[in-house]
Amino acid sequence: MFFNSLAFAIFLPIVFFLYWFVFNKNKSTQNALLIVASYYFYSCWDWRFLFLLVFSTFLDYYTGIQIEKGKSEKSRKFWFWLSIIVNLGFLGIFKYYNFFAASFAEMFTSFGFKVSPVLLNVILPVGISFYTFHGLSYVIDIYYKRIKAEYNFVDYSLFVSYFPLLVAGPIERATHLLPQVKLKREFDLEKAKEGICQIVWGLVKKVVIADTCAVYANAIFDHYTSMNTFSLILGAIYFAFQIYGDFSGYSDIALGVSKLFGIDLLRNFNYPYFSRDIAEFWRRWHISLSSWFRDYLYIPLGGSKGGLWMKIRNTFIIFIVSGFWHGANWTYIVWGFINAVYFLPLLLSNSNRNNIDSVVLKWDLESLKTIFSILFTFLLTCIAWVFFRARTISDAFLYLRRIVTDWNFSLQYLDNERYNYEIIVMVGIFVLVEWFNRTKVEPISGKNSLLKIALAIMAIIAFGTYSDYKEFIYFQF
Amino acid sequence: MKKFLLYIVKIFVVTALIAVFLDGLYTYIFMHSKNRGKIESVVNSEVQKYDVVILGSSRANNHFVSQMFQDKGIKTFNYGMSGGHLFEASLMLKLMIERKYQIKNVILEADLNLSNDKQSEGVSAKFLPFIHNSEVIKKHFEHEKDFNELHFIPFYRYIKYDSKIGFREMFKIVKKEETNALDNLGFYPLKKHKNGNMKNNIVSLNPLPHNKYYEEIKSICKKNNINFIAVMTPMCENVVGMNYFDKVKKAYPEIHNYENTVIEDKYFSSCGHMTDEGAKMFTARILKDFFKK
Repeated sequence: MFFNSLAFAIFLPIVFFLYWFVFNKNKSTQNALLIVASYYFYSCWDWRFLFLLVFSTFLDYYTGIQIEKGKSEKSRKFWFWLSIIVNLGFLGIFKYYNFFAASFAEMFTSFGFKVSPVLLNVILPVGISFYTFHGLSYVIDIYYKRIKAEYNFVDYSLFVSYFPLLVAGPIERATHLLPQVKLKREFDLEKAKEGICQIVWGLVKKVVIADTCAVYANAIFDHYTSMNTFSLILGAIYFAFQIYGDFSGYSDIALGVSKLFGIDLLRNFNYPYFSRDIAEFWRRWHISLSSWFRDYLYIPLGGSKGGLWMKIRNTFIIFIVSGFWHGANWTYIVWGFINAVYFLPLLLSNSNRNNIDSVVLKWDLESLKTIFSILFTFLLTCIAWVFFRARTISDAFLYLRRIVTDWNFSLQYLDNERYNYEIIVMVGIFVLVEWFNRTKVEPISGKNSLLKIALAIMAIIAFGTYSDYKEFIYFQF
Repeated sequence: MKKFLLYIVKIFVVTALIAVFLDGLYTYIFMHSKNRGKIESVVNSEVQKYDVVILGSSRANNHFVSQMFQDKGIKTFNYGMSGGHLFEASLMLKLMIERKYQIKNVILEADLNLSNDKQSEGVSAKFLPFIHNSEVIKKHFEHEKDFNELHFIPFYRYIKYDSKIGFREMFKIVKKEETNALDNLGFYPLKKHKNGNMKNNIVSLNPLPHNKYYEEIKSICKKNNINFIAVMTPMCENVVGMNYFDKVKKAYPEIHNYENTVIEDKYFSSCGHMTDEGAKMFTARILKDFFKK
């Protein structure tokens, strides 16, 4: 059940009605309803993986309590590592086993040994990377005594399986979400209206921007060997907007839906393409994942406190692991590596926190420099996205090589019977709308919101791409 | 909560109004399109007189050289539609009758398309902008499973088939961007392709014993005193020995079999589609057999 499906359009109002009109006695009934709804939502993909979700929930719930109750450090450590190993074990088996087996076999073959690894014929349970990270952060926080264990199983289950964030995040923290689910939610009109605005804007991003860009990006990436420099540049830009619209659109819908139930989720995107350097980009892109890796990997490894080599090592570890989190493919690892290369000079020159404030432009030279920085950061991001999108690393290199060697800027007619430039105006308008609303969560709420909703709906209806339907990219992660 | 529900109702009303407005706007624009495709050109046309109208799929569109008919003084237009099935061919003929076309002969390409009586969504979608303006179109779609949505939900058809009749197509009409669909009197000549697919496995293909839309075309012609000529058109060497055309002949004895009029692969762009040269040879034979004056 996708957020942009008819099934969800029926599911959401039913749950909303039951939540506020039938199960609104106290927080326990509210939570119970949300869990049932969440499990139903999840089972719409594959009910068999529901057992995995329930097992993962129970494991972290139980080990969390055992860690807190643990009298000796040895016992605390035992439960802590049990949870870590089992959680990562599941992730490893379902997501990475085949990749490692195939990679080792390839390595042995290159040394002259013929190896036929046993590959698992399993599909990746949707959302496993997200709910596993929920559970991990919870257990780690209890182990380091940052939070208390949750003894109410229903409340804890909701923290893990809350349907708006279950399959593609944002990756919530117990410190943020659990206190909210432990209180009865009262209906808040303004919050609900904000939620609607965020849902509508999320749909614009997904249906109008991401899915339309996907049609062009796919046509260019899938036939890059016959594309010229201009088409290849556009292909990379289209993919940049496809993945942004797709994932941030999903996050917006998730946050908006959650607001309808009176629960705030962590913000996941903050206009990342207006970043002035890569460090700022990573503070604005997939914020919940970046901060997760920062808090549970980078800082425990020593962060930027150690010597030069320690800083370099930690930077590469966090970016490569972040790339690998996205999928079991070398292209994601290289994508992470490239971002580490981009980030490192900023870290070493202590300028990684130079651009904390929001962008303000005036009619002066400084603003021109800012615009140049934004465009340069976007260029770097697009180069990295080529690796993220390409099928193999060599495809990505060939794609980039063709951009600089072909040097032909004529307009090409694509395989899907469209010209390569057709949606530039639409992407341009989208960028302008976001630019002029960059201080807000989304551009719709506020003054004249009903009129803006009308325009957004008109865009969804008239300009959305429906026949080349695409599911959300991040579901596969 | 009451205020919120009112807010939601307002959004629904706004959405419905937008859908109605867009539906009206798109339909108005499609109603004024004449140069982008065969369907619009018929829907938005005045009374026409034809000696010959050619109907069928791409195997009609690419095989009947209308100009050769014209050169003999036979007023002809090739209304074959690439990707189309008999569902669309039948609807096209009904539309012409509705628009009071005077037609003496209909040549129908009836061979591979006899194997199904379903609509070809990519082609049939192009009739949908006119569903409220043509009783014939409305009735033709009436038994399709999503008829109610397509007919009653404003703008639904433009959303469902956005790649065919959505914003891009509407915008191209506004820009008056022409296509080549109406060039060469509807005939689309093909060139020889180096990598043309010369394999087409039709061994397991079977013609339906009573194709609903074939029978419909036949009866429309009878009712309107139109001479009905059904023909099977040639295919490449690869299909020789696969007895699909014999099966057609057995089920529909009145269909003329021209499978072997042109055989050699050099006259084919792909297995089911002849080149311009092959089409000319085939058309010459049709002219000789049916329009010898």
